[in-house]
Amino acid sequence: MRFQRLLQIPFFLLFLFLLWFAAYPLPAWFDVNVFLRLDPLISLGSMAAARAFILKAAWAFAFLGLTLFLGRIFCGYICPMGATIDFWDWVNGRRGKSKGENSFEGAGRFRGLKYLILIALAASALVGISWIFLFSPLSLMTRFYSFVLYPVGLMIANLVLDLLRPVFPHVGLDGLSYVSYSVPLFNTNVFVALLVLSILLLGMIRARFWCRNLCPAGALFALFSFRPLFRRAVSEKCTSCGRCIRACPMGAIAEDFVKTAHSECITCLKCEEVCPEKAIAFKVGAKVPRLSAEMNLDRRRVLGAGAAGLAAAALTMTNLHHLHEGETPRALRSAGLIRPPGALPEKDFQARCVRCGECVKGCLTNTLQPVWLEAGLSGLWTPKITARLAGCEQGCNLCGQVCPTAAIRPLTLEEKSFAKVGTARIDKTRCIAWEQDRKCLICDEICPYNAIVSQFVTGHPVTVPVIDEDKCNGCGYCECKCPVAGESAIMVEPAGELRLAAGSYKEKARELGLVFHAKARVEDHSILNSDQREARELTEGPAVKDEKKMPAGFITN
Amino acid sequence: MDRREFLKRSARYAAVGAASVTLPGMIERVYAGEKEPQIVVANGGPGPATRAAVNAFGGMGRFVKQGDKVVIKPNMSFPNPPDWGSTTHPDVVRELTTLCVEAGASSVLVLDNPLRSAELCLVRSGVRKACEGLPQTQVQGPTNKAFYEEVRIPEGRALTSTMVMKKVLEANVLIACPVAKSHSATGVSMALKGMMGLIFDRKDFHLNLDIDVAVVDLCTVLKPNLTVIDASRILSEGGPSGPGKVIPMNKIIASRDMVAADSMTVELGTWYGRKFKGHQVKHIQIASQRGLGNMDISSQTVKEVSA
Repeated sequence: MRFQRLLQIPFFLLFLFLLWFAAYPLPAWFDVNVFLRLDPLISLGSMAAARAFILKAAWAFAFLGLTLFLGRIFCGYICPMGATIDFWDWVNGRRGKSKGENSFEGAGRFRGLKYLILIALAASALVGISWIFLFSPLSLMTRFYSFVLYPVGLMIANLVLDLLRPVFPHVGLDGLSYVSYSVPLFNTNVFVALLVLSILLLGMIRARFWCRNLCPAGALFALFSFRPLFRRAVSEKCTSCGRCIRACPMGAIAEDFVKTAHSECITCLKCEEVCPEKAIAFKVGAKVPRLSAEMNLDRRRVLGAGAAGLAAAALTMTNLHHLHEGETPRALRSAGLIRPPGALPEKDFQARCVRCGECVKGCLTNTLQPVWLEAGLSGLWTPKITARLAGCEQGCNLCGQVCPTAAIRPLTLEEKSFAKVGTARIDKTRCIAWEQDRKCLICDEICPYNAIVSQFVTGHPVTVPVIDEDKCNGCGYCECKCPVAGESAIMVEPAGELRLAAGSYKEKARELGLVFHAKARVEDHSILNSDQREARELTEGPAVKDEKKMPAGFITN
Repeated sequence: MDRREFLKRSARYAAVGAASVTLPGMIERVYAGEKEPQIVVANGGPGPATRAAVNAFGGMGRFVKQGDKVVIKPNMSFPNPPDWGSTTHPDVVRELTTLCVEAGASSVLVLDNPLRSAELCLVRSGVRKACEGLPQTQVQGPTNKAFYEEVRIPEGRALTSTMVMKKVLEANVLIACPVAKSHSATGVSMALKGMMGLIFDRKDFHLNLDIDVAVVDLCTVLKPNLTVIDASRILSEGGPSGPGKVIPMNKIIASRDMVAADSMTVELGTWYGRKFKGHQVKHIQIASQRGLGNMDISSQTVKEVSA
């Protein structure tokens, strides 16, 4: 096996392994998001857009430094996008070979694009809008493997398990008899699949088309590898056979076979391997002739790219759903846009969130879903709690732990329990207890915070659910379990959510005078305020004999 | 005090004294015979009291035969720690499982279909950990439809069919070991209500059916051979999920009759700050009236033991 594959395959498997373990309970002895944190585009991009130093994402700088010595090894050995593209090409029998002219000069037409994309991203980030999620290879790949291949893989695994289930007890594998994966469902998965498919299909034009021409992370690495310490050198033994040019997956070799565009070279060593004369070697500090005009950018295109980035930012800022507080006060917030607990204030949140989908993949209950355009153009793929599908689990704080940029703060379980994400509201016209006088109270039964109480209310023969909004954390279990078909009769709304950029949620809750105290409302019977709660506690006791006042399920006789 | 009064009192004290010395012995002798008590109330820590309760029936061998497949149904419905009282104490499950294994069970399955994330419930309730390393034992919270099978309920008045865990249908012995807790819809949730943890879809119970009737319907097809109710502490109000008022009781209540066990536990506990009799809980009353068991405690032999 080629040397590159000896490293690339283990790194790719490690990527999958870490992604698999981005699930509850998180492993204690390694971070599942290290790959995301190695991508300098994610790191620099979110730091620039959020105007903050993000310690969690600072690792990537070390990698940029390493590039000065070893060239774009990230692209050749570590990047899962590179591995996926190589694998795709291998399956399709292309084995990285390009048709036609593959020299640096001959295949250089679109090469400047990646720099222009990088410039556009930077310009946009400068005004606080992050588009890196559209182009970061790590974000794209994490999303692809999480939303597209992970559920499909589990489905196939279940089919296999179901087939073998009758066999297990007879071969001493009784434990496997009960294994069955719950297959998560993901919004936008088809779109993610198509996006990655089109990137792979670009490989029909040239090998690693994405890496050569489009990838802004590659461009960032390229900026640091114009003259890496470890580089390609060609000796006089070269017979100009041209094999190396044809074999190079990046088209990084000049027409004269000797010069190399080091900024395009991913140090895969393919040219060294294919050279029949053993004329090519990668050496530390080798003396090599320089190639002129490696980065072919004129001023007009650079300015144009910057302007395009700013225009994209301006466009999203004037979108109806763009939620940057203070800038566009009239922006419309979708009622169902419930952010995960510990999500930063929306502007910072969107600036930092790289849409990798790690939180969505890891979410214990599958309630976190990537959104379409509910949060504006720039909010594409940001996570939201989809309470009708599942509730946010009280004892889980995984989303904040796996977020590579701390767009969701890594809260302790205790802190997280104070990070109120919204408040439940009852639609009395749909609730079967309120509207149809039938015993139900599943919402009361399931509420993990005891924020729903069953009460007798004048005019209603059965107890009806009433929300104590001071206690409601917005977890959404009530909305999920409500037996009414279609839309739930009890729904979580963003009202009362806590979004803190810094400081303790617990202290903030106390400071506001809240347990989960939001402001109490009196008139509406479906909302219980603190006075009513106290009154209720007083009227409870052995003195009450009226059957109507008996707790539900009890009778007097 | 005159002489007559003194003699009267002396006689009374003597009688009481004599009775207190001899009666327990007599009762002991009655119960020590082959006749099995109908209800056992065991005092002590959750693990030891469980063993004592089962032993009061003459040991697990009375229920589990060599090679039996046993299903134990605790309440593991919520990812809450044991001291919340919303799930069965892990020591109770562990002790029961051990007893079954000792009695020669070929497999012991601890099963519940939790309301919240299954994995989390099994972990947080402490049951999975407690049963770790026990031979032939599995703790599972199957949520996949493939593990359930449609069952007709011929005696059902509200519920006429439902999907039940296949493993329960395949088992020779079913042991219910619910925790004693309050319930916002059915008053209390113990052995009868707990059977809802063995079926796939419970939405209809709340949406279309009278839940008190439907629970009893379900129990006409899911009848545990032994019921062991964990009243080491009860969730007196705030059930079924908690957090709520937890009262320590230090008791385990056991019976072959799930209705009797539920009824006994209702009487022993305090619910929503009040005392109730078993017949005051609607679904217990219905179950008794329909002949699933006997909710009348006074007509039954109750044996109290200590661990």
